[in-house]
Amino acid sequence: MVDADTGAQLAVKDVSVFYGNFCAINHIDISVGAGEIVSIIGANGAGKSTLLKAIIGQADRVEGTISFAGDDIVGRSTKEIVASGIMLVPEGRRLFPSLTVEENLRLGWDVGRKGKGDIGFADIWKQFPVLDERRKQKAGLLSGGQQQMVALGRALLANPQLLLCDEISLGLAPLVVNELYALIPRIKARGIGILIVEQDIERSLAVADRFYCLLEGKVSLSGRPSEVSRDDVIKNYFGI
Amino acid sequence: MAGVWINQILQGILLGGLYTLFATGLSLSAGVMRFVNIAHGDFIVLTSFILLVLVTSLGINPAIATIIVLPIAFVFGFGLQRFLLQRVVGENVLLVILVTFGLSIIIENGLLEGFGADPQKISGGSLETATIALGDGINMGVFQVITFVAAVAMVAVLDLILYRSGIGAKIRAVSDDVVAADLIGLSSARIYAIAMGISFVTIGIAAGFMSIWTDFDPASGGTRLLIAFEAIVLGGLGSLWGSLVGGIVLGIAQSVGAQFDIAWQMLAGHIVFLIVLAVRPQGLFPKY
Repeated sequence: MVDADTGAQLAVKDVSVFYGNFCAINHIDISVGAGEIVSIIGANGAGKSTLLKAIIGQADRVEGTISFAGDDIVGRSTKEIVASGIMLVPEGRRLFPSLTVEENLRLGWDVGRKGKGDIGFADIWKQFPVLDERRKQKAGLLSGGQQQMVALGRALLANPQLLLCDEISLGLAPLVVNELYALIPRIKARGIGILIVEQDIERSLAVADRFYCLLEGKVSLSGRPSEVSRDDVIKNYFGI
Repeated sequence: MAGVWINQILQGILLGGLYTLFATGLSLSAGVMRFVNIAHGDFIVLTSFILLVLVTSLGINPAIATIIVLPIAFVFGFGLQRFLLQRVVGENVLLVILVTFGLSIIIENGLLEGFGADPQKISGGSLETATIALGDGINMGVFQVITFVAAVAMVAVLDLILYRSGIGAKIRAVSDDVVAADLIGLSSARIYAIAMGISFVTIGIAAGFMSIWTDFDPASGGTRLLIAFEAIVLGGLGSLWGSLVGGIVLGIAQSVGAQFDIAWQMLAGHIVFLIVLAVRPQGLFPKY
């Protein structure tokens, strides 16, 4: 099931998002195809996280349409959106610190899309042996990198068709970030679309099929990373 | 002589069972969900009046009346949280206290209007007077022993639900981080409502035992709330087994205090509470 106009799995069409009277996102169009990696870059306050919140159903006021697998999901609850196949890896990981690693992961499984479950607990333990060793440990006691693995694992166990990653490199050592980013193409290989929000331009453009640069709530530049010059990106990132 | 004191301590432990029944639901709502329900005691009294009506008008056994009331209590607690209390969750803790305080006043005055100020009691029949004599002046009331066993069972079942079940993990997740729960689609409003429904089931059970154990009148919710609060703070906020220990400590303090002078009964409990609070403010088995 794809969007009728664009053929994309996720199609954000003419969407504006408001906090009170403040317009955080101003009439933007963004699409993500099935199994496509799309990167959203932009400075602080450009509206990147707000866009993800709007998609997952946690923004206060959204105008326009967000179609996923052919259905308009604006106004649906997060619970319904997650069950239909979109899952967020939140900024700052947002694990439940007093719950064990296994309990945190199981929540992803519980809220997720039912049916064809490609990814199971065995896959997560195999991918992250360190989590297997610590499955009974409280998530709050893990290192930042391990916590990010749990957050990613929790999202994958929800069996998503589209994964939203909000600043997964934030506050982590470069080596750990490399390890996490190495997984992105493998997730894509399973046919899962990925929308990455990241401040680290180099890293997120390196992995992306396409990108959008946001500036003050609008798309200032978009395309394939190979087709744009670094100068253009910098210019549209800072708006200078 | 020793027998008298041993007997008082034993009565205190059994009384602690009743106090644990008051406290466990509050421990779940206030300790785990951080939702202070000031009307907790009044809901116990309200449910006792409902049981009184069921028992006297339908002539059914109090135990059966209690069992009938439990599922209704769950649905009522769920609905109350979902449609009224949820509106003030997370904003300001003062709002929660004000809204539940308002409920407390409504219940108290509503009951006063409907039933008058006279103390009421539900008869437990022959069970109430049955005792187990242990010699040396030491006696255990059969009903009191059943109450204590029920309290231990209630804590054990609630502990299993909270720490071994899927819904328990969700309740703890919401308690950890409400925003994160909503971000991953856990729907905190629904989970708050389920937790409050469970808390109201404990209110129903507490009412069933209290209404036979002792007199109640429309104004007696306040002391039930105070005892429940003291038990959960003594035991350590958020610890279910702690509230059992807290209830027993209060029960023993009151029972032994009453042996010195009957006027000391309530006061002795409060004094022990204040001493523990001063020496160990986090409670005996703190969870946080």
